[in-house]
Amino acid sequence: MRNMFADAPRTSLTAIYWAFLLYLLLPLTLMMAMSFKDANFVAFPIGEWTLDWYAKVMQDKQFLEACLYSVMIAACSTLAATTLGTWIAMLIVAEGIKGQIIIFALACLPAVVPGMISAISLRIFISTIDMPTGTAAIILGHTVHAVPFVVVMALTRLRSMPGNLVDAARDLGADSVVAFFRVTLPYLKPALVGGMIFCVLLSIDDFVRTFFLGGYRPTLPMLIFAKVQGGMSPEINAMATLVLVVTAAVGLYAEYLTRRARTR
Amino acid sequence: MQPVVQFDNVTKSYGKHVAVENLNLSIEAGKFVTLLGPSGCGKSTSLRMLGGFETPNSGRILLGGKDVTRVPPNKRNVNIVFQDYALFPHMSVAKNIAFGLELKGLDNQRIHRRVNELLELVQLQDYAKRLPSELSGGQRQRVALMRALAPDPEVLLLDEPLSALDAKLRQQMQIELKSIQEKTGKTFMFVTHDQEEALTMSDTIVVMNKGKIEQMGDPNTLYGRPGSVFVANFIGETNLLRSTVVGTEGETAALSWNGITIKAAQGGLTPKAGDHLYVVLRPEAIHCSAAEPTSGNRIKGKIRHRVFKGNHTSLSVEVGDGTMLNALVHPSDVTQLNGEDIWVGWKPETTTVIPDRHAHN
Ligand SMILES: Nc1ncnc2c1ncn2[C@@H]1O[C@H](COP(=O)(O)OP(=O)(O)OP(=O)(O)O)[C@@H](O)[C@H]1O
Ligand SMILES: [Mg+2]
Repeated sequence: MRNMFADAPRTSLTAIYWAFLLYLLLPLTLMMAMSFKDANFVAFPIGEWTLDWYAKVMQDKQFLEACLYSVMIAACSTLAATTLGTWIAMLIVAEGIKGQIIIFALACLPAVVPGMISAISLRIFISTIDMPTGTAAIILGHTVHAVPFVVVMALTRLRSMPGNLVDAARDLGADSVVAFFRVTLPYLKPALVGGMIFCVLLSIDDFVRTFFLGGYRPTLPMLIFAKVQGGMSPEINAMATLVLVVTAAVGLYAEYLTRRARTR
Repeated sequence: MQPVVQFDNVTKSYGKHVAVENLNLSIEAGKFVTLLGPSGCGKSTSLRMLGGFETPNSGRILLGGKDVTRVPPNKRNVNIVFQDYALFPHMSVAKNIAFGLELKGLDNQRIHRRVNELLELVQLQDYAKRLPSELSGGQRQRVALMRALAPDPEVLLLDEPLSALDAKLRQQMQIELKSIQEKTGKTFMFVTHDQEEALTMSDTIVVMNKGKIEQMGDPNTLYGRPGSVFVANFIGETNLLRSTVVGTEGETAALSWNGITIKAAQGGLTPKAGDHLYVVLRPEAIHCSAAEPTSGNRIKGKIRHRVFKGNHTSLSVEVGDGTMLNALVHPSDVTQLNGEDIWVGWKPETTTVIPDRHAHN
C-alpha cells in the first residue's frame, strides 16, 4: 500500500506523458492510415488497403506544380533571408557601430509579431508601393518572416568565434572582404545550413502570409486547403503524408547538423 | 645599419588610460627581441600597433625605413603568431600555411614547395592534411609559427605564444623557437611576462613598465646590471640592500648598510657621500661559511629557512635587525641548520648599485 502511494506522483507523470504523446501522434497516425484506404471517403473502418491514392497524387499535375512553386518560393526566400540575416548578424557583432541592440530588436520583431498581423501589414505595404500580389510579394513576406531565425543562429555561432581568426586572416594579407568569405563564412557554415533548412520549412509551411500576398497560383498549403474545402478524400491524406515525411526528414537533418556544429 | 623596426615617440591611450607612452625603440634586423613586463604594461598594444591592429594616438612606426603608422594589417610585411594560435579551424594544416602565400599570388607549385619546406622545418610533413583540432598543443603552435613565417615577413611578431603550453613543452619550444629564428635569420619580436623565457631566447630584452621602457639590453647586462629597482626585482631573484654612501674610492663606493660598511662597484654612477643607493646582491653571489671570511663584504647572521632543492640549497639568513638575505649555495657547502649562526659574504665586484629614485636627501 505504502509503495503505491509513494509511486503515485511518478506514475501519474508517466501517464500524462503517454497521454500527451498519444494526443500528439494519434491525428498524424490516423491521417497516414487513411491515405492507404481503398475507398472514396475518410472514415473507419478501413476495409481494404491500397497505394492507389499515392499513385494518383504523383500523377496529379496540380499537386506537382504546387510543390514546385512552393519549393521555388522557399529557395528564393531562403536565399534572401540567409544573406540578409548573416549581414545583420555581422553588423550586430561589428565593433564601433551604434545601436546594435536596436538593430537586433528590429531584426527579431517579425518572429514575434502574430502571423495574421504581419500578413495584413505586408499586404497593406505592398499595395502602398504598388507591388502586385503574387510570387514576388510572397517571397518578400517569407523572407521578412525568416530573417530573425537566421540572425539568431548566425549570431550564436559568431559569438563563439575566436576574435583572432579574422585578425589572423587580415594579418596574412586578406582584406576584409576576403577575410569574410574565406574565414568567417566557412566558420558560420554549419549554423547557416541549419538556418537555411529552417527557412525552407517555414516557407513551405506558411499559409497566412501566402494567402494574403498570393495571386492565383496556389502554393502547396493553399492547394491542400482548397481541396479540403471541396470535401475530404484519402487523396488529401496521401498528399499530407508525403509532405509530412519529406519535411520531417529535412527537419531532422537540420537538427543533426546544428547539433554537430555545437559539439565541434 | 638601418633598423627594421622603429617606434618613434609612439603613444597609445584608451580613453584616459595611457597604454603605451612615448615609446622609442629601434630593432636591428635578424635579432630576437623580447618585450618583457608585467601584465597590462602595454606589450601587446605595442605589438598590435606594429601589426596594424591599433593606430597610435601620436608618433610614427617605421618598418624597413617606411612609415607604416596608418597602413592596414594586410598591407604590412609583418606577421603575428597569436597567443591562442588562431588557426583556421576549417582548413587543413597545409591550407593554413598556404593562406598567406595564396594571398600573395604565388602559383600553386611554389606554394606547395614552400609549405612542404616549412612543414619539414618543424617535422610535421605527415600532418599536412589534418585539421587543427586534430593536433596537439605543441603541434598547433608550430603550425601557427609556420603560417606566420610562410609569407616571409620582415618581422615576425609573437604575442606570448608559449603561455598555453605546459612547463616541459614550453622549455622545449623555447629552444626550438630560438633555433628556427637562427636558421631563418628573421627578426623576431617576442612578447612575454616570463623573465626566464626572455633570458633563454633573447638577443635583446626590452623591459616595459606602465607603458614605458624601463631598460633595454642583452640578457647578461639586464641580469648583471639592472638599471632600476623594478628591473632588478623583475628579472631573477635579488636582494636589494638600501644603503647610504659614505665615500668613494676609484670605481668602488663605501656604503653604510645595516650597521656595517660594505663596498660595491659603482657601475657608472657617480655617487656622493650621503646619497642613498640600492646594492643589488644576487643570491648566487653569496657565500656562506662558519668562519668569518677574510676579505670582501661580510656580515654575521642566523639561518631562518633552509630549503633543499636538489642541485642547490636555498637559505634565508637573518642579518642585523631582522633583514633577510636570500642565498643559493651548494648543498654540501653549508651544513648549519635552522637557527644556527653563519657568516654571509660576497665580493664587491659581484654587485651593482641602483640609485634610489624616491630618496629625498
Ligand atoms: N581595447 C582596449 N580598450 C581599453 N583598454 C585597453 C584595450 N586594450 C588594452 N587596454 C589597456 O591597455 C593596457 C595595456 O594592455 P596590453 O594588452 O598591451 O597589456 P600587456 O602588456 O599585453 O599585458 P598582458 O601581459 O596581460 O597581456 C592595459 O591596462 C589594458 O587594460
Ligand atoms: Mg598581452
